[in-house]
Amino acid sequence: MINQYNGISPKGDLLLLQRLARVLGGRSFLHVNSTREGGGVAEILQRMIPILQGLGIDARWEVISGDEQFFEMTKKVHNALQGNKETVTDAMWQHHFEINRQNAANIDLDADAVIIHDPQPGPLVEFKKKGVWIWRCHIDISNPFRDVYNALGRYALKYDAIIFSVSKFARAMNIDEFIIPPSIDPLSEKNRELSDDEISETAKRLGIPADRPIILQVSRFDRFKDPLGVIKSYRMVKKYNDCVLVLAGSPATDDPEGAAVLNEVKEFAANDPDIHILLLPPFSDRDINALQRMAFVVLQKSLKEGFGLTVAEAMWKGKPVIGGAVGGIPLQIVHGITGFLVHSIEGAAFRIRQLLNTPEMADAMGERAKEFVRKNFLITRQIRDYLSAWYIMENKGKSIIEF
Amino acid sequence: MIEGFEFKQCISILKSTGKKAGNLHTLKDLVAQVSDDSIFHHTYQYFLKEHILEYTNDFAHWAGESLEERSLAEQLSNIDPYEYDSTSDLRKELLSVIGNYIERFPEPREAMRGDEFYFNETITLIFPIGIRVKNLAEFLMAIKFVDAGSIYYHFYEARMRVGGGIDDFSKWIEESLDKKGLAERIRAIDPFMHNTEDIRRHIAEQIEKELRGDMEVMGVEE
Repeated sequence: MINQYNGISPKGDLLLLQRLARVLGGRSFLHVNSTREGGGVAEILQRMIPILQGLGIDARWEVISGDEQFFEMTKKVHNALQGNKETVTDAMWQHHFEINRQNAANIDLDADAVIIHDPQPGPLVEFKKKGVWIWRCHIDISNPFRDVYNALGRYALKYDAIIFSVSKFARAMNIDEFIIPPSIDPLSEKNRELSDDEISETAKRLGIPADRPIILQVSRFDRFKDPLGVIKSYRMVKKYNDCVLVLAGSPATDDPEGAAVLNEVKEFAANDPDIHILLLPPFSDRDINALQRMAFVVLQKSLKEGFGLTVAEAMWKGKPVIGGAVGGIPLQIVHGITGFLVHSIEGAAFRIRQLLNTPEMADAMGERAKEFVRKNFLITRQIRDYLSAWYIMENKGKSIIEF
Repeated sequence: MIEGFEFKQCISILKSTGKKAGNLHTLKDLVAQVSDDSIFHHTYQYFLKEHILEYTNDFAHWAGESLEERSLAEQLSNIDPYEYDSTSDLRKELLSVIGNYIERFPEPREAMRGDEFYFNETITLIFPIGIRVKNLAEFLMAIKFVDAGSIYYHFYEARMRVGGGIDDFSKWIEESLDKKGLAERIRAIDPFMHNTEDIRRHIAEQIEKELRGDMEVMGVEE
């Protein structure tokens, strides 16, 4: 399976993966998160597990289940870690632990290496059996609401190591902290090459006009993604350049606020025929791929962001991306080289106009963006880093490891 | 029998030290405290990144972009890590430059929240990439083909490993191919003034020139 990436991923990444597979082959590697669909974590795990298995690693992916109360609480925890002031009571933390205790009884946690994704399954570490346990934090915790951060910390510190997506999310914690950015799969339905027919079929079916440049933002309907700010930017641009705005997102089962935000966005769009709000069902990967390929400019105007993988997705399709300078977005967008970083609605509007008026700049930026993603943000690099972190934890104390 | 050259590559896995500096006073304190691995990462390994030669290490980059202390950024950028025999000598120079600047401007500005300097370090994984060459023509093919991480390992990282400012490529060319002139020309390429892709291009140019010279040694009879 890894051979499919020959000629796409950097050679060195593929070679190191083979070396790591030789030393870790046959051993068990468990990933646990809280949703099988929607959001970047589920998406990358769907692709990563078969590749790991193809490398000879006994990889498994388990999903914890919980009730509405559990997911409402974990959403609050998520928002609090991103800086919102939230009230999470002792009773809620107790319920959080209880749901994890029930899940621990149903999931086989016996593995040589275990990666627990995000806060929802965090307490599973209390039921560790053996092996290296790593907590994988995908959230921007650079400025968290302290009470919630401290309460979660009691679990985080029980892990052997933590993985953050960006250095600035890491804290002084006295345990090993790896910095591993997430990635996209160039061969997935969401990122593979599409024919012109496939792209125009999607445009026709979703009612997106092809006669004007398309400005696109793909993200969950979440206030931290600033969908209203995107509409305001579009309105500023529209005074000068005729264009179409597409806001596309899928619902996630662990995000109860999505419906409310979607209604706000629809109301704010006020029936503008050139604003297309698309609530795509889960697994609409090919449609998202087509939308990104038909776009002229892609936005990710987030106010808070874990990493913002939609940025790398659009860059891989050779598109210039305008992104908020938050979370992992500045790691992907080198300002003025592989895209533009913006700090305001006005900034986003200005850069959209600049690109619409200089298509040759948009093309050159898009080309550089694609090469940047090839070197830094493909799934093979992330698997390489996960296996390396596991191997490093089993060979602690060495700063150089030679194969 | 000529000993072949085996290409290797290194890949660095990033770890956070959990330490961060929001102004120059804290930066100086932490530069004095952090591990050699961390200093190595923020200076020598800067050359592993694709960068424009605006800055030559992470400290200069941060001083220029986040603190907008342009003069300090220039002074830090002028520190060539390959001039120093050890990381501890390099650390002393960094401390001296930052210290002198603080004496002249004792109230430096604070970085914006989230834009502090984050001290990282790396674990380096080294592996052969399955390419062994026996002569200069094969070497030329290989140097054009390998990942930038392989150029970094043999041209930059080797200087600290081999010592004396000598890279793996020129060492092999001199010792195994007995081409002292070419080895010297490769050693004359300044590692500090280029990124890995520039280095790849310059080495390939020198080898092509050498091969052309070897080929034309017989000349064409009139």
